[in-house]
Amino acid sequence: MTVASFGDIRAIDPANVGDGLVPQILEALFAGLIDYDHDGNIVADLAERWITGDDGKTFRFFLRHGVRFHDGEELSADDVKRSVERALHPSAPNPYASYFEPIVGYEDFVAGKANELEGVQAEGRYVVTFRLKNPDVTFLPTLAMPVLRPVCKSAGHRYTDTWQPCGAGPFKLEPKGWEHGRQVTVVRHDGYFKPGLPYLDGVRFLFRVNQTSQRFRFTSGELDILADFLAPDLVKFQADPRWKPFGAYHAEHQIAGEAMNTEMAPFDNVEVRRAVAAAIDREQIRLVRAANLRVADQPVPPDVAGHDDSLRGQRFDYEAALEHMKRAGYPYDPVTKTGGYPHVIPYVVYKQGLAEFTAQVLAQQLARIGLRIEIRVVNYPTFLAIRGRRGQSAFGPGSWTQDYPEAQSFLEPLFHSKSIAGEDSNNWSYYKNLRLDALLDQAKRELDDRKRKAIYKEAQQIIIDDAPWAFTYYYRGYTQWQPYVRNYRVHPMWTHEMSRVWLDRAERPGGAR
Amino acid sequence: MIQKVLGRLAWAAFVVWATVSLTFLVNHALPSDPARMVAGAQARPEDVERIRRDLGLDQSMYVQYARFFRRLIHVGPHDVRADDSAHATCAAVLGPVHVDLGRSYQLRRPVVALIAERFPRTLLLAVAASLLQAVFGTLAGTIAASNKRTLKDHLAVLASLLGVSAPTFIIGLFLQWLVAYRLRLLPLDGYGETLAEHLACLVLPALTLGIFGAAYYTRLVRDEMIWQLGQDYVRTARAKGLSHLAVVVRHALRNAVAPIVTVLGLELGTLIGGAIVTEAIFRWPGLGSLSVNAMLDRDGPVIMGSVIVTSVSVVVMTIAVDLAYGFLDPRTLR
Amino acid sequence: MSRATLVGATIVVIILVFAVFGPLFTSHDPYASDFLRGISPEHLPVGPNGTFVLGTDRLFRDQLARLAVGARVSLLIGLLATTIATVIGGAVGILAGWFEGRMLDVVLMRVVDVGLAFPFLLIVMALGAALDRTTPITIFITLGLTGWLGTARLVRAKVLLLRHLDFITAARALGQTTPRILLRHVLPNVAGPLIVVSTVSVAQMILAESVLSYLGAGIAPPTPTWGHMLFEGQDYFATAPWISLAPGIAIMLSVLGFNLLGEGLRDALDPQKK
Repeated sequence: MTVASFGDIRAIDPANVGDGLVPQILEALFAGLIDYDHDGNIVADLAERWITGDDGKTFRFFLRHGVRFHDGEELSADDVKRSVERALHPSAPNPYASYFEPIVGYEDFVAGKANELEGVQAEGRYVVTFRLKNPDVTFLPTLAMPVLRPVCKSAGHRYTDTWQPCGAGPFKLEPKGWEHGRQVTVVRHDGYFKPGLPYLDGVRFLFRVNQTSQRFRFTSGELDILADFLAPDLVKFQADPRWKPFGAYHAEHQIAGEAMNTEMAPFDNVEVRRAVAAAIDREQIRLVRAANLRVADQPVPPDVAGHDDSLRGQRFDYEAALEHMKRAGYPYDPVTKTGGYPHVIPYVVYKQGLAEFTAQVLAQQLARIGLRIEIRVVNYPTFLAIRGRRGQSAFGPGSWTQDYPEAQSFLEPLFHSKSIAGEDSNNWSYYKNLRLDALLDQAKRELDDRKRKAIYKEAQQIIIDDAPWAFTYYYRGYTQWQPYVRNYRVHPMWTHEMSRVWLDRAERPGGAR
Repeated sequence: MIQKVLGRLAWAAFVVWATVSLTFLVNHALPSDPARMVAGAQARPEDVERIRRDLGLDQSMYVQYARFFRRLIHVGPHDVRADDSAHATCAAVLGPVHVDLGRSYQLRRPVVALIAERFPRTLLLAVAASLLQAVFGTLAGTIAASNKRTLKDHLAVLASLLGVSAPTFIIGLFLQWLVAYRLRLLPLDGYGETLAEHLACLVLPALTLGIFGAAYYTRLVRDEMIWQLGQDYVRTARAKGLSHLAVVVRHALRNAVAPIVTVLGLELGTLIGGAIVTEAIFRWPGLGSLSVNAMLDRDGPVIMGSVIVTSVSVVVMTIAVDLAYGFLDPRTLR
Repeated sequence: MSRATLVGATIVVIILVFAVFGPLFTSHDPYASDFLRGISPEHLPVGPNGTFVLGTDRLFRDQLARLAVGARVSLLIGLLATTIATVIGGAVGILAGWFEGRMLDVVLMRVVDVGLAFPFLLIVMALGAALDRTTPITIFITLGLTGWLGTARLVRAKVLLLRHLDFITAARALGQTTPRILLRHVLPNVAGPLIVVSTVSVAQMILAESVLSYLGAGIAPPTPTWGHMLFEGQDYFATAPWISLAPGIAIMLSVLGFNLLGEGLRDALDPQKK
């Protein structure tokens, strides 16, 4: 089975999940205590079950007996603790380490003051306990990410760059199976703990294959799954009845919008922000790449817990936008084309993204309410540096992809005031609202799903009305597979999850005529 | 003579040092943050900060500059073992002399290993493309010049103008579509496993680069040849009763060789730096994509490593071209 | 004037007229997306038709109007950057070649070496960061100042050959001053390669402008340039080839025109024909 991608990976190690593509490979190689199923629910995996106690502050995981790593060793509770400490140790280049800050003893361990992580303890051979400082709904979702998944004893106690990946997942890496920048080959792990699985003998992941080459390979049958498309090619696949049954959209878990810096003019005026939110005709922006975009009206995307269809979201309303401009003190007359905000607003964008194109449509739309923007293109590293530095960028594109399918994964980094920093700020609007902060903190401790949903609804309504961002679209990927690929479903977290997929070689490639 | 050679080497070393230092300086002056590029666009500030410390980027530029040169060439044990953390990113070049370019921030592999892996591939592509360029360009240019203002000449000029103004991506995508996808004569992209596969994979990228080069070269050779054919010594040679072919090949072409070799040397030097677009289209794992990605990711050690490779190859090609003048043109020998 | 020169001159005049009066040829606004007529039922750009003579681009704007506006920017950048590069490259090459082996030659050539080895992309990134905004002026200066290195090498090689030819030796023996020899005898004889290099260069500079914008030092959208338009069509090449073809053909025609004209100019100045 062969899959290709346009991008590349830099490491295959749970302690260094730096790339968007690597989770699908980690999912094949490493099993976790818990995992996400195909519907996005958290389910037991290496742990048979778990119990929550102490008002949601302790989690006891009961490991399955007889789980074998790729090297044949049996998984024990000590392996779990060792793997957690290896991944969170300050010497590991782990960009997600701070997500596990809720665990008791995290600060001391990361600062090097403690040799072990106090909040994670093995109780005998088959039980592991995690203790948290406070009840925290983000704990299970983050634990289900690949970061803390158990690794073989060969990984040792500290991260190294030269370790041959080895875990307890359905597939194992072939010796020399990673050719850097080109491909990763994994083969069936015969000792996998789920009997009979996986069905496939192996999977080959190709990297740095451009979209045109991918299409050529796919239509000539060299590639079994196609997930990177040029926009016009995707349109053709979707219009072709031979291909239509073998394709599906991915879950929607990315929000894009226009981030307005609430500390800089003119966006320190909430009426200007509201004018922008009302002036954007999201339907036109969607047409820039119609096959992949859906109109957005709220920060939490549709396939993420906390998205609420009953909300009164941001929407295009030209008259209202003019009214907001008037209230802001910058009335604009569309007939004579006079008035509006007197200065040109720089809009910083990076090259090679969709944002470069949506910005040009945005400029046309904002001109109609008397806001003139000047697009400044910078390279991507500069873009990241500028937007995260306080007082540097008034206006620019923002987009955020879930880490885990919970509203918290969007709202806290983007809009909570504690995400404001002088450098590397993730709250690009530098938006501060004490009521919102309190709601988000409350939601984080609220373990009841229904009550949490109500809190998120209120929080989202505040953000929609205050408009630190004008939300524009949700991005959704698409995957096309060959007719002979059976039992394939796009996974909401890992895109490709191959343990139950099989190939029916009696069927011919879809492109063959 | 020895003095001349030594002088040449000293200048070569100076050029490499100056290029490397300038690159270091410029790279540091950029406002963006390499640690952020490692951590990813969504990482939290505290994680970015920890990675920055881990990479040693929290230290001042002078410390980093000194560390770079102290490490670059140093003496160490005769064999570098993988478990020796002090020499983990070294390559032993000459017994105890080590070269250490550090570890890539992004790929977390020793830069010497990355370059050792990719340099031969880039060299292969560069030499193949330059050969195509030299052979086709010289042939077409010479034929055009010796048939000036005939149909052959006009065709050659027109073809070469099309060649120089067509962007590489159009030529590359077209060749890939036609030869590899429709006709299935050659692999779509990649590098292959065996020698035969390497060569099969080489054809299309070399051709893509070669078409532009040959087009440029045709014009240049034609022009130079027309100029040479108008010189007195050619008239003299003709007057002596030499055949047209003999005049063209033995006299004019031989004299036209200096500018031609200069350009070839320049092109080869540039191509060793990597052919970015072509490498991307055909997935050729060369230095071009490595160094461009390093620049876009602000991966300092890889940037410095690839600049060392390009500056050394430019210097080597300059010296080679100078030597070639001596061999090819009897008058510069004196 | 030869027939070829005449053809060249005609092409150049047509292109210049298009660049100057181009916006008069179409009633469409080059900056306005037409979400009603400029978009196909599949939400893709429309091909050439009665309304949009050259079709629409990927933001559903009129290609003809953009091509006309882009002509000014691209031709300006292509011609001026080439001129700067050719003048500097020619001067440095002639001086270095004439004073071969002396300090001037050594220093100039080592500067060229450093320039050739230094990563072009990094200079551009630095410039993009240093300049608050980029204009055609900063761009042709960037391209001009980085584009002369190869030319200098080539011209120097040619001058090395010329120095030993009879007519130069004769001029020296007659006691002509060095500047006079360089201008009257050397320059006309290196004009050939200079013209070849600069015609190639015009196309390369127009394309290079769009590379600059990848690094944040090019012309910012929505202002169109030919190079930009060409590369924007890259993804759509199989489906909507007109997006890339229109600017591609425009670039080729300009190169052809300037080349033929340059050739005629060179023949007119050719010392051997006098």
